[in-house]
Amino acid sequence: MILQGLRIALNSLWANKMRSFLSILGIVIGVGAVIAIVSVGTGSTQQVTARIANLGSNMITVYPWMTRGQFGRVGGTVSLHKFTLELVEHVELFCPSVKKAIPVKTLNSRLITDEVNVNATIIGTRIDYAEVNNYEVAQGIFIGESDDLERRQVIVLGSQLAADLFEDDSPIGETVRLNYENRIFQFTVIGVMREKGGSMAGNLDERAYIPVSVAMDRLTTHKYVDSFIGQAYSSEGAVNAVQELEYFLMKYLQDEKKEQFRITSQDELLETVSSVTKTMSLMLGGIAAISLLVGGIGIMNIMLVSVTERTREIGIRKALGAKNRNILWQFLMESLSLSSLGGIAGMGFGWIAAYFLSQYGNWPFVISGISVVLAFGFALFIGIFFGLYPAMKAAKMNPVDALRYE
Amino acid sequence: MNRIMRIEQLKKIYQLSKVKVEALRGISFTIEEGEFVSIMGPSGSGKSTLMHIIGCLDYPTEGKYYLTGQDVAKLNDNQLALFRNKKIGFVFQQFNLLPRATNFNNVELPLIYAGVPSGKRKDIVLKALHSVGLKNREYHRPNEISGGERQRVAIARALVNNPSIILADEPTGNLDSKTGHDIMKIFQKLHQSGNTIILVTHEREIATYGKRIIYIRDGLIEKDEVVA
Repeated sequence: MILQGLRIALNSLWANKMRSFLSILGIVIGVGAVIAIVSVGTGSTQQVTARIANLGSNMITVYPWMTRGQFGRVGGTVSLHKFTLELVEHVELFCPSVKKAIPVKTLNSRLITDEVNVNATIIGTRIDYAEVNNYEVAQGIFIGESDDLERRQVIVLGSQLAADLFEDDSPIGETVRLNYENRIFQFTVIGVMREKGGSMAGNLDERAYIPVSVAMDRLTTHKYVDSFIGQAYSSEGAVNAVQELEYFLMKYLQDEKKEQFRITSQDELLETVSSVTKTMSLMLGGIAAISLLVGGIGIMNIMLVSVTERTREIGIRKALGAKNRNILWQFLMESLSLSSLGGIAGMGFGWIAAYFLSQYGNWPFVISGISVVLAFGFALFIGIFFGLYPAMKAAKMNPVDALRYE
Repeated sequence: MNRIMRIEQLKKIYQLSKVKVEALRGISFTIEEGEFVSIMGPSGSGKSTLMHIIGCLDYPTEGKYYLTGQDVAKLNDNQLALFRNKKIGFVFQQFNLLPRATNFNNVELPLIYAGVPSGKRKDIVLKALHSVGLKNREYHRPNEISGGERQRVAIARALVNNPSIILADEPTGNLDSKTGHDIMKIFQKLHQSGNTIILVTHEREIATYGKRIIYIRDGLIEKDEVVA
C-alpha cells in the first residue's frame, strides 16, 4: 500500500512539475541554509580554535593595565613599573598552580645585514618561552639559560626574518646588527624558528628572540617587563592558576580592585569564541528553521489546492473501493515526497554552499552528520505535519459530493 | 434464484438549512441474481439518490437495505468501501476515468484497492478490457480515445472485481445514439453471461434493454413491470 501510494504520489507530482518545484523551494532553501550555516559555524570555530591553540598550551598572559578615568584621562595608578623581573620570579614561588612564569619584553627595532635592513619585533625572554608557545626551532637552538645569565648578545630569528635577511644561506653563526633607538648592537644568530604563520597576535615569523637580560640591561635600562606568561600544569589547573595569580597580584601590587593588571587565559579565550559562535549558529540556525517552517506552509498550501482540484478523483477512487486511509496515504505520500525531495535537493544545495563558503573563508570544510540528519528529519516532519490536514480533508470527503464536484 | 438485493421502506431526507427535502419517501423492491433491471424516472424523481444508496455511496435516512444478505445501514465507512470495491461495479454517465492514468491503470484501480498482488493484476485487467471489445488501447489515456471507447474502459473497470451488481448511471447519456446502442449491447451480453445489472436512466428506449423496469416519481415507485 505504501509503495503504491508512493507511485501514485510521484506520478501526480510529475504531472505538475513546475508547481511541485516551486512548492519545494522553501524546503530546499531551508534545509540548505541549516546545513550551510552549521557547516560554516563548525568550520570557522575550528579555524579560530586552531589559531588559539597555536598560541601555546595552558598559557596565561598577565600584563599591566591602567584604569581609564573620565574623558579618557589616566586615572588611578599605572602599574607598569611594578612589573619587574622580581615580580615574575615571585609568581613561581607564590602560585603553586603556575608551573613557570616567563617574562616578555617587546621592543621594535631594525635588523641589519650588509645587504638588508628590515623591521623586526624583538622579544626579550627566556628559554621556556618556546616550549610554552608550542614553538620549536627549525635550525640551531633557542636562547639558553646561560645566554640569559651571562647576557650574551645572541638572537633567534623567525623564519620570515631569516629568509629576508639571509635568503637561502644558513644564518646560524652569522652576525646581525640590531638598531634600537639609533644605537647599534651586534648579535650572533643561534637559531631559526619553525614557520608558524599568523596567529591572533600577528605574524609570528617576523619576530626575533633575545635573552630578556640583554633586552633590559643592554638595549634599554628598563626595570620592568611588558608582560609575563604563566604556564599552568594542565588545562584543568588553569582556572586555579588564574585565581592564584589574581590573588597574588592583588596583594603584591596592593590593588584590591584589580585595576592595575589584566589576566587572559586561553581557556577564557576559547570559551568566549565558542560562546560567540554558538550564539551566532543558534541565531542563524533559527532563521533557517523558520524558513523551513515557511516552506512547510507552502507545501500545505499546494496540497490544499491539489486536494480541492482533485475532488472528483477522490470521489472516483472512493466509488471504486478506496478506504479513507487509502486516500489519506495517497496525499500524505505526496506531501512527504515533496518535502523529502526538497530535503534531498536542500542537502545538495547546502553542501555546495558550505563548500564554497569554506573555500572563501579559508576554514576547514566540515559537514556535521547531526545537522544533515536534523535538517532532513525536520523537513520530513514538516511534510507529515503540514500534509496531514489536507490529506485528512481529502480522506473525509463524502463520496457522493466528491463525485458530483465539477 | 438467489435474492441479491432487498430494499424495504427506504427513505432519504435531506435537511437543507430550513427546508426538509424528501428525496425518497418509502421505496421497497427486491432484485434476484442475474436480473437486468432499469430504474426509470424524470430528473428530480429521486433515482440518483436511490442509485447512490444502492451503490453504497450514501446511507438511507430510514428503511432497510440488504445487499447479499448484509444490512448495509450497519456498515461503517471502511466496510462500505469494501462493499463498493467487491460487490458493486459502477458505470457513470461522465465515464469518471482518471485522466492522467492509462486505460490499463484505470481498470487496475479496483484490483489495487482489493489488494490483488501486482503479478496477478495484469491478466485480469487485459481480460476485462478484451471482454468489452477493447484491444490495442490498453496504454492510451482517456483523452486519446473516443467516448464510446471510454465507456468501454469504464465497463471493464466495473467488471474487473467480479461484482455482485453492475450499477450503471445513465451510461449512454454522453454518447451519440449509435454508440449508446453499442454500449447497451455490451450490457445485454453481460446480462446473458449471468451478471446482475441495474441501469438508471430517463430514456425509455434505453430502459427497455432491461427485462424489468421500475418507474420512480417523486420519491415513490410508480410502477414495477416486467418487459415482455
